[in-house]
Amino acid sequence: MPKLTVTPAEDHLTILVEESRLDAAISTRFKDRIREIVMTSRTAVILDMTNIEFMDSSGLGAVIAVHKAMPGGRVLELAGLTPNVERVFRLTRMDTVFKIHPSAQNVQEKRA
Amino acid sequence: MIPNIPFKPKPRGRTLRPRQPMFHRVFEARLDNVRTVLNDIRKRFSGDVSDDTMGRLELVLAEVMNNVAKHGGEQASAFIRPSIHLCIVRHESGLACAITDDGVSLPSECLLPRSLPQIDQGALPEGGFGWYLIQDLTQALCYYREERRNFLAFSIPFTPEAA
Repeated sequence: MPKLTVTPAEDHLTILVEESRLDAAISTRFKDRIREIVMTSRTAVILDMTNIEFMDSSGLGAVIAVHKAMPGGRVLELAGLTPNVERVFRLTRMDTVFKIHPSAQNVQEKRA
Repeated sequence: MIPNIPFKPKPRGRTLRPRQPMFHRVFEARLDNVRTVLNDIRKRFSGDVSDDTMGRLELVLAEVMNNVAKHGGEQASAFIRPSIHLCIVRHESGLACAITDDGVSLPSECLLPRSLPQIDQGALPEGGFGWYLIQDLTQALCYYREERRNFLAFSIPFTPEAA
């Protein structure tokens, strides 16, 4: 099971991914687990990707699948993209689809 | 009679090149093996190439080898796991990679010049990015099939603009 830490706040939920790789070996389990979490959420969800040093197109596909599964028009926001992760979002133009924050800390401050 | 010529050591070769400019591995095409091999490649070349080059190399190799692990074994009768042979050589301007496997043929559309899947906010694509990334990040991408093996070769340039 992918390691995740879920921290609820008043108006959003932060999911910290505690894995260094979001790749084909883990993407299906990752997608299923995060989908379960977001389905029950009534707020915006921030996916904190700070620890992910490597992501491939399967990992990207999993993040897109979660985004599409967000209930009631709520959005999936991303935070803490490392250079290798940012590259995949940029090259596939998916950086234009997601709301991307420099860090989860930054989100807290903005919303405070 | 053989004259007694004193042994003269040959002048040493230039030592400017890295000591381990090459990586070679043969392994069963499984997703967990791909992870292990990518980690070993990182150990071999990090310090020798920039983080940016390493990131592009790792992404392209992950896309190619995961593709073999997921689809290469899909024979008509059963799933027969292919074996991958990988070789990477460090050159002056980049990393030359050669990958062969004994899985099914690579569908020809993978290598046709492709654009990104259409971004439609209502129905975002969840796949179809792999071969786009491979084509975008490599130079001199070449594929052929010989007998029962696929042969794929390409270079990852040290400067991304060159791709």
